[in-house]
Amino acid sequence: MTQRKRTRVAVLFGGRSVEHEISVITALQLMQAIDPAVYEVTPVYIAPTGTWHTGNQLLERSFYAKVPANLNSLQEVTLLPKPGVRGLTKLSDNSTIPIDVFLPAFHGQYGEDGCIQGLFEMADVPYTGSNVVSSALTMNKYACKVFLKEHGVPVLPAQLITRSDAQKNIDGVVQKALSTEGFTTLPLFVKPCNLGSSIGISKVKEAHELAPALAKVFRFDTHALIEPCVNDIMEINCSVREHNGVHASVVEIPVSQSGVLSYEEKYLRGGGKKTGQSAGMASLTRVIDPQDLDPDIKNSVVEIATRSFTVLGCSGVARLDFIVDLATGKLYFNELNAFPGSCSFYLWVRSHPRVLYTTLIHNMIETALVHHATAASLDRNIGLKALRA
Amino acid sequence: MLAKITTIILIVAILAFAWRRTLSFLRYFQQEEYNPTRFIAWIKSNRAFDTRGSLVLLLALIAHVIFPGSGASFLIALLSAATLLVVAYGIEGDPRTTGKIRLNMTERATKTAWVAYGMLAIVGALPLFGLCCSCSQESAPLTLTALCGIAIAQATPAALMLAAKILSPAEKRLQKYYYDDAKRILAEVNPFVIGITGSYGKTGAKAALGDLLTQTVGSTFWPKKSINTVMGITRTIRETMRPHHKYAVIEMGAYNIGSIKRLCEFTPPKAALVTAVGIMHLERFGSPENVYTAKSEIAEALPEHGILVCNGDSPNARRMAEQHKRGTNLLYGFDLSKGPLDCFATDISYDEHGTSFVIHYKGERFPGRTPLLGRPALSNALGAFTMACALGAQPAFAVACMGNLPPVDNRLVLDKGSRVSYLRDAYNSNPTGFEAALDVLKNLPAQRRILITPGMIELGDMQYEENKRLATMAASVCDRIYVVGTTNRDAILAGLAEANFPRTKTIIAETRDEAFNTLAEQSAEGDLVLIENDLGDLHEGKVRF
Repeated sequence: MTQRKRTRVAVLFGGRSVEHEISVITALQLMQAIDPAVYEVTPVYIAPTGTWHTGNQLLERSFYAKVPANLNSLQEVTLLPKPGVRGLTKLSDNSTIPIDVFLPAFHGQYGEDGCIQGLFEMADVPYTGSNVVSSALTMNKYACKVFLKEHGVPVLPAQLITRSDAQKNIDGVVQKALSTEGFTTLPLFVKPCNLGSSIGISKVKEAHELAPALAKVFRFDTHALIEPCVNDIMEINCSVREHNGVHASVVEIPVSQSGVLSYEEKYLRGGGKKTGQSAGMASLTRVIDPQDLDPDIKNSVVEIATRSFTVLGCSGVARLDFIVDLATGKLYFNELNAFPGSCSFYLWVRSHPRVLYTTLIHNMIETALVHHATAASLDRNIGLKALRA
Repeated sequence: MLAKITTIILIVAILAFAWRRTLSFLRYFQQEEYNPTRFIAWIKSNRAFDTRGSLVLLLALIAHVIFPGSGASFLIALLSAATLLVVAYGIEGDPRTTGKIRLNMTERATKTAWVAYGMLAIVGALPLFGLCCSCSQESAPLTLTALCGIAIAQATPAALMLAAKILSPAEKRLQKYYYDDAKRILAEVNPFVIGITGSYGKTGAKAALGDLLTQTVGSTFWPKKSINTVMGITRTIRETMRPHHKYAVIEMGAYNIGSIKRLCEFTPPKAALVTAVGIMHLERFGSPENVYTAKSEIAEALPEHGILVCNGDSPNARRMAEQHKRGTNLLYGFDLSKGPLDCFATDISYDEHGTSFVIHYKGERFPGRTPLLGRPALSNALGAFTMACALGAQPAFAVACMGNLPPVDNRLVLDKGSRVSYLRDAYNSNPTGFEAALDVLKNLPAQRRILITPGMIELGDMQYEENKRLATMAASVCDRIYVVGTTNRDAILAGLAEANFPRTKTIIAETRDEAFNTLAEQSAEGDLVLIENDLGDLHEGKVRF
């Protein structure tokens, strides 16, 4: 019996996003969990400057302490937007590192928002996770809410402010924001429209704080999203994945210390300890599958999460965040992470049936290959006639 | 045999000592821009000659005369070698990683260091050649080695200057290439250049302006930290200027008459911000009038339709504005008694989140706040605001952006703790900054207000009087005062006595560590501690070799 050839997976991570480091943490966890008997992993690190590098040193966490100095020890590669290459191209000699499937493990801009997915489409290679449109739609918090509202998903009212409008007339913009329908009282949340994590978020308690809060968002994003702040709040998250159908995980209640999860709380707290390595989202203080949660709320979360994932056309593993207004008991969709931190594996290992991280990745890759095969079988008969007439 | 080992041990120690010393002197040679005249002047004014190394070797020589035996020589050599290593690697920090302005190992620095060290090492290793022939004369190697050691310890600055001279033709060619390359990039990107100069505050104003312009009117290039020379700016332009940069904020340092003019030829400004024209670095310029002339070069360089924004609180900056009428002339500040201001701030108050203020600009009021603390920081922000508005920023939005100005390292930063909070003003202290820090200390909420300071240095004739004056002022603000070290102790104590500050609340500490230990023992909930002029910096002010 001959040994079955292993599938070659390129795991891409890092990238030009503010969540660069979180992506590295997620990818390192993921590459540890991937089944080496089935897959041959090629780690591809995208530096903050946007250059692509590969090499086995990338599997060591200690390597990243000395970036960018030690990037020289790696092979610089790229993915050409040219169908048929089926792999990464080395910049040194234009030779190819063959790859069967691409696994983007990015958080945030350029990696989770449809940009790299567009490149995969151009190169005609299989890739895991959501496609271009779904990624782009879920990354833009405002567009996602408007789209889901159309599909009957409950969302909080929102106002979108552009940087150029604020630069021209901040007073007018503030007036417009304060008179938004549904914004009955302060405080308000002001956040970047296109960024994940919690960078740039402010809680505005008084009207005069709104302009500086907007200015803060515009350091990071060209669009700011303003939402009412639900004072008495409970957050509920749920992961949804596609594998021979759409499945939801158990829900979790993340425990916040200050009302809004800051970047530090989300990623640097290390499970409540102040020192030691961060393990990203997997280490956040949380209650998974809370037994005392109202089953009605739990069922609504699962139903809405599955429906949202489906209508947005997502694939792979996503995490949907909801909030419950404890004063009214109302449930609202908050945001969808097309590629959540730690791939939400900590929810799947507690789900029924239980899904191990290794299986989760295995299923993502299988699904990616199925989607690619389906797309390849579509009729793309390019009629080269008009120009020949 | 023992004599050979003795010599080799001492030579190795001397060579290791010489390497660290080469780097230590190179730090200051680099700060003086590899200019021998300035370097020599610096050595003279700081008496920066080797004493420690020479003393150790001199003692070794004397000991050798008294105890001539080969066993004694061995012990003497061992002891001297160990002392040399402790001096160079223990007492004196690594200039690349310690100190306020560190040695930056650029290509030029590396080359200079190696060429200079090569010359020193040849002298230091000279006794090795003598070893073979002179082993019969037991005493010669140690004497010769120690003498060579003293020679290279004293000759280190000269070796650096000689190395720079040797490397100069190649260096000049390289610099010319870099300069031209930066010029080419500048011409291609073609940003609107704003020059900043001033006797103080220019680095803070640059950071504030760079940030405000980026947020309000367009992508802005600015060299970080206090880069303000042609070579420094050349390097930053080559490394970080990009086609999207619409504006460039360039800090222009005046080292003597003509230096700003050269910078203006390199990066011709269309606008200029002058933060202050004072009497700092008087020794370099000779007279206050020369300081004014040197700084005025920035205004002279502006085109007819250019923008000149000056700090109206500084009489000479105000004078510069009056003598250089350009397309737009604007004055900013706090003090309306010195004349009219186009932009000024009132209602200034501090809390633990920063400074609140009301800016008055073109007849309108703009209330706002900034995380920066103290009047000097607010003055810089005000200058940046005025310039940003002159360049088309909407004032209300610019004020909103001031709410997110990033703090400048070690300049009056509040470090909030659950029990005790610290106000750190570790940057080289001057009377204006000290006064501003006391003002903030007075206005922040606290149970007890505590000051830890070694006082201010480098104030020439004014040092005693200024330290005494500030101590008197501190007496009215503080509940406890820790006086660190001996440098300004008398002046501070005299000031405190004049203000009748209770002697029981004055703590005298020999060292910074002692002060902090006592503070830790005596601290209480709600203490606010102002650390004015960190002792590390004070020691650095007095270089000892």
